Amino acid sequence: MKKTLVSMILVGGKGTRLKEITKDTAKPAVSFGAKYRMIDFTLSNIANSNIDVVGLITQYEPFELMSYIGRGASWDLDVLDGGIFFLTPYAKNGNILWQRGTAHAVKQYFNFIREYDAEYVLILSGDQIYKMDYRDLLKHHCQHNAMITIAATPVDIAEASRFGIVETDSFEQMIGFEEKPVHPKSNLASMGAYIFNADILEKRLADTDAKESVDFGQDIIPKCLADGDVISVYQHHGYWRDIGTVESLYRANMDMLDDPNFLDLNKRDHLPVYSKSLNLPPHIVTETGLVQNSCIADGCLISGTVWHSTIGYQTIIMNGAEVRDSVVLPNVVISENVHLQNVVVNKDLTIPKNYRLLSQKIVVLDSTNIRKLGEIDE
Amino acid sequence: MSNLFLIIDATIRGNLYRLTRHRMPGALPYGAKYRLVDFTLSNCKNSEIHNVAIFPYGNYRSLADHIGSGDRWDLNRRKDGIFILPPKNMNVTAEDTISFQRMYEHLEYFLRSTQEYVIITPGNIIWNVDYNVILDHHRKNKNDITEVIGDNGKRLKTFVLSKALLLEYISSYDVIPYRNLTEVFDYAHNIVKEQYNFESVCFFIETAEELYRADMAMLISEVRTHLFNPNRPIYSKETMSSPSRYGKEAQVKNSVIASGAIINGSVINSIIARKAIVGKGAMVINSVLMNQCIIEDGAHVENAILDKETRVLKNASIIGAIDDLFITEKKQIVANDEKLKVIQIAVECSPFVKTGGLADVVGALADNYSRLGIESRVVMPLFPSIKEKYRVLFEMQAETIVIYNGIKYKVSLYTYSKNNTIYSFIESYDFFDRDQIYGYDDDGDRFAFFSKACLAFTDLFDDLPDVVHIHDWHCGLIPLLFKNDPRYANTKTLMTIHNIEYQGVHDAAIIERVGITNYIVNQPTINFMEIGLATATKISTVSPTYRDELKYEFYGKNLVGLINRRDRDLYGILNGLNDDIGPENDLIIQQKYDVKTYLKMKPINKADLQKRMNLNIGNDYFIMGMVTRIAEQKGFDILFNAVELLMLNAKIQFVLLGAGDQQYIDRLMALESKHPGRIKMNIGYYSSEPGYIYAGADVILMPSRFEPCGTSQMIALKYGTIPIARQTGGLNDTIETYDVTTKTGNGFKFFNYNSRDFVFQINNAFRLFSSQPIDWNHLIKNAMQCRFSFETCAKAYRDLYRMMLQ
Repeated sequence: MKKTLVSMILVGGKGTRLKEITKDTAKPAVSFGAKYRMIDFTLSNIANSNIDVVGLITQYEPFELMSYIGRGASWDLDVLDGGIFFLTPYAKNGNILWQRGTAHAVKQYFNFIREYDAEYVLILSGDQIYKMDYRDLLKHHCQHNAMITIAATPVDIAEASRFGIVETDSFEQMIGFEEKPVHPKSNLASMGAYIFNADILEKRLADTDAKESVDFGQDIIPKCLADGDVISVYQHHGYWRDIGTVESLYRANMDMLDDPNFLDLNKRDHLPVYSKSLNLPPHIVTETGLVQNSCIADGCLISGTVWHSTIGYQTIIMNGAEVRDSVVLPNVVISENVHLQNVVVNKDLTIPKNYRLLSQKIVVLDSTNIRKLGEIDE
Repeated sequence: MSNLFLIIDATIRGNLYRLTRHRMPGALPYGAKYRLVDFTLSNCKNSEIHNVAIFPYGNYRSLADHIGSGDRWDLNRRKDGIFILPPKNMNVTAEDTISFQRMYEHLEYFLRSTQEYVIITPGNIIWNVDYNVILDHHRKNKNDITEVIGDNGKRLKTFVLSKALLLEYISSYDVIPYRNLTEVFDYAHNIVKEQYNFESVCFFIETAEELYRADMAMLISEVRTHLFNPNRPIYSKETMSSPSRYGKEAQVKNSVIASGAIINGSVINSIIARKAIVGKGAMVINSVLMNQCIIEDGAHVENAILDKETRVLKNASIIGAIDDLFITEKKQIVANDEKLKVIQIAVECSPFVKTGGLADVVGALADNYSRLGIESRVVMPLFPSIKEKYRVLFEMQAETIVIYNGIKYKVSLYTYSKNNTIYSFIESYDFFDRDQIYGYDDDGDRFAFFSKACLAFTDLFDDLPDVVHIHDWHCGLIPLLFKNDPRYANTKTLMTIHNIEYQGVHDAAIIERVGITNYIVNQPTINFMEIGLATATKISTVSPTYRDELKYEFYGKNLVGLINRRDRDLYGILNGLNDDIGPENDLIIQQKYDVKTYLKMKPINKADLQKRMNLNIGNDYFIMGMVTRIAEQKGFDILFNAVELLMLNAKIQFVLLGAGDQQYIDRLMALESKHPGRIKMNIGYYSSEPGYIYAGADVILMPSRFEPCGTSQMIALKYGTIPIARQTGGLNDTIETYDVTTKTGNGFKFFNYNSRDFVFQINNAFRLFSSQPIDWNHLIKNAMQCRFSFETCAKAYRDLYRMMLQ
């Protein structure tokens, strides 16, 4: 079955900077904003862009992610002539094909792209929070007669050295690219989302065999630029955040709380963000509960105070507990008189009575460090 | 896999009024994110039942939409799965339990099912149950039929039996006297029956109050533990709502909040569904908000059920009471509760002039509006009889000229005020100064003229009315006249159909005479009711069941197409009964009585009736009474056979008071002479004095073919006289068949319009009367405690007026 465009989501990264949060789960399966998982945003963008072939390249702890996504029915991806495919490392001729970098992973599965005889390949990453209609990206790509189109978004110049920075000419064509530059030449950051003409991609990937690790940002894009490929830059305006660290996870959650129109999540009919239903009852705030300036997911039982925090599903917050400026991941029990501030509580944690952790900087609270970080008031 | 297949009885309509206008009870939202049917379907999934059929009545779109392929409950399967089996015969209405006949329409489904046992259960029960436990009990006790009873003793209309036995009933539906499993359970003798008590949380939702109570019960943690067992989850349709969002000033106490809700105000003891919004400074107390309701800033909502997408405007307030919930309709907009100004226009109004039930309704509504603080006005023609009696009280308010058919007529307006109500009378020597109200050759012109005169006076009233409420065909031209007048183009009109049989067909030239130029007439006649129904803002009729029936040709007649077209604007509001009618203050009966004294007093009245009617005297006789207009509509075609059959029972007597059609009267007289001392006809209608029959008879027969509302059954109930009626119109809405198990119900109903089913129910009543006196007395008490007040009726109209104003 021929498809004009197939999409590939790269979720391979280990996410070590998210610490215990990713110790037994792939980064895109990490909870965000009380009821979502990070991957929901990319998958919903795909669904909203009418794309129906998705290859998900994954190798670290894929179980939770796979069981969450299933056949992709929540994103309308359970279609007959397409769908969602998990592209995991496999053995060939006795060798295990471990993925060496994002581009290398795509290369291993190039058969997948050939099978659909696709003209364009959309490369995305699974750990970013944003909304985009990829049809606009493709339109841009075709209108500019580009071989490659990179999506980029303006960032604060002070932070620009954290990203891959793109330089453009007046025709929106890329003339320079630097990964994490010390002295950034512009404030346009690559979002790690690309459209390639399939033949160009195949050619460029073929030249990379010998290398230890092959990445789109590190290797492929600079190489294409050097080889004179026509690379166009599509500017995305609107919220975008790459979640690589505990701080960025925390910050994105706070962004959601502080902006009532965050990503238009509450607007009807505006590129909805889908997420898998867990068949949980709605949440309950009891007589003693108080919730302000916060987001709460289904299945919670709130008897304590929640202020300026996001609370993941199936969390219980008991009488007298106070949670401030925190991110509580799902399925947590916060017992009586617990006080938390500036904490990211890892999922499935039970915090004992009278526990107190009022942190200055953002910390992840987990079963491994709970005794170390806070204390129990008697 | 379970050896059960499951039938969802979605023919149960219950008494949910507005909430079920757009959906059937199974599709009702519950508990912030569920639909009622989610519970039954999740129970199937958790009981490993893979073969499910839903039998819906009429409007099942919302249900079908919710169920989809059934994949959310694992019912999208290669073999078996979920089937929606709609009625094939769309003319059958008003039945509220799945009948064998209905199942016979889909006999093939039953034959194909491979499971040995079947469970039949409604789609509107909230519970978490393993059906296999009931099946095990059924098999262990070697029952033929097991019925499931809820924890509060309520019958759940849920039965387990073998497929073989069910097929026997289905295939002989036209031979056996039972229409459904409840009747089999109650009356069949040769089978092993047992009731199984389900001893956990369980709500069977048949009324808005029950839905409200079940919603509020979600705030009790024990109830939640039972309903939402993590090992047996309740599955529902996925949506894409975001997490619930709380603003900086949110104050939520003891409430359930679903995802997508945005809370910026206060919510106390309430259930807030998906994507509902509570604005800053808004208060929601003891209320149920369904999906996407918007409570704007500063609004106040208390004791209410707000249907989907209700919008309560800024600073508006909705305050219901626990026993009088404020219930909105889907997408209703509630503005600030300013004073409503209503004009009722009718040809009759009690106490001034009355020929039938219409006058009572108009008069009683006006009285009750006064009490509810609604400014209302009644406009009617001034007939000589009114003038004679009330002239001294009247005040001349205005005079004007009305042009009709090119001729100028002088008309005067007299008024009389009482409490909040102003009664206005239009005087015209040419049209209304006659002895009779109706029955003249120029009736069409008279009421067209009346309509035009109403319009001429409307701008003399102090304020423009918000709503003009017109009654019956006589006022049928008024909505069109208002629409054509730029001053009143925004005035809302409500037309009430009291009986569709009378439509007012008159000369087409009347349209021109009354001055309407933009209405095209292709025929030599016009139909006043048709014009009214086509042009009024909203339409109502006098009972919810009649409202549904009018959509079928059998009832809606020539107007059925028009009525179906206006379905979304058509409402059914049950009439009331004047509070002063009853055996407590009836001066003409032998012994006044009430619910405390009837046991002693009713036999005295019974003896008096027997004496007056020359019947054999004795308290053990079973007297069937009828107070009726003698006409085909009232069921005389099935009455004669029935009475002949019943006369085989020497303990049955029959009396009738009425007047009407001579051919029936002749047959009635023949019947009387054939059974002297047992049957007595009292021909000649004294509608004001039928008390001795109501007080003396044991049952009242109402086998009507159709009955928009009916008052006889309401009066009978007050007198503790048990109605045996056909399940149609207002009879269906006021009578509930007595249930021996739960001791509920106030009478007996039969569905098919034939003598056999009628006699079946009379015999059931007789059996209860003669051999189960405790139950019979229970039934009488239930009957006497029924209340059909005009206050409830007036409140329902008030809510409808409010809704029209958006």
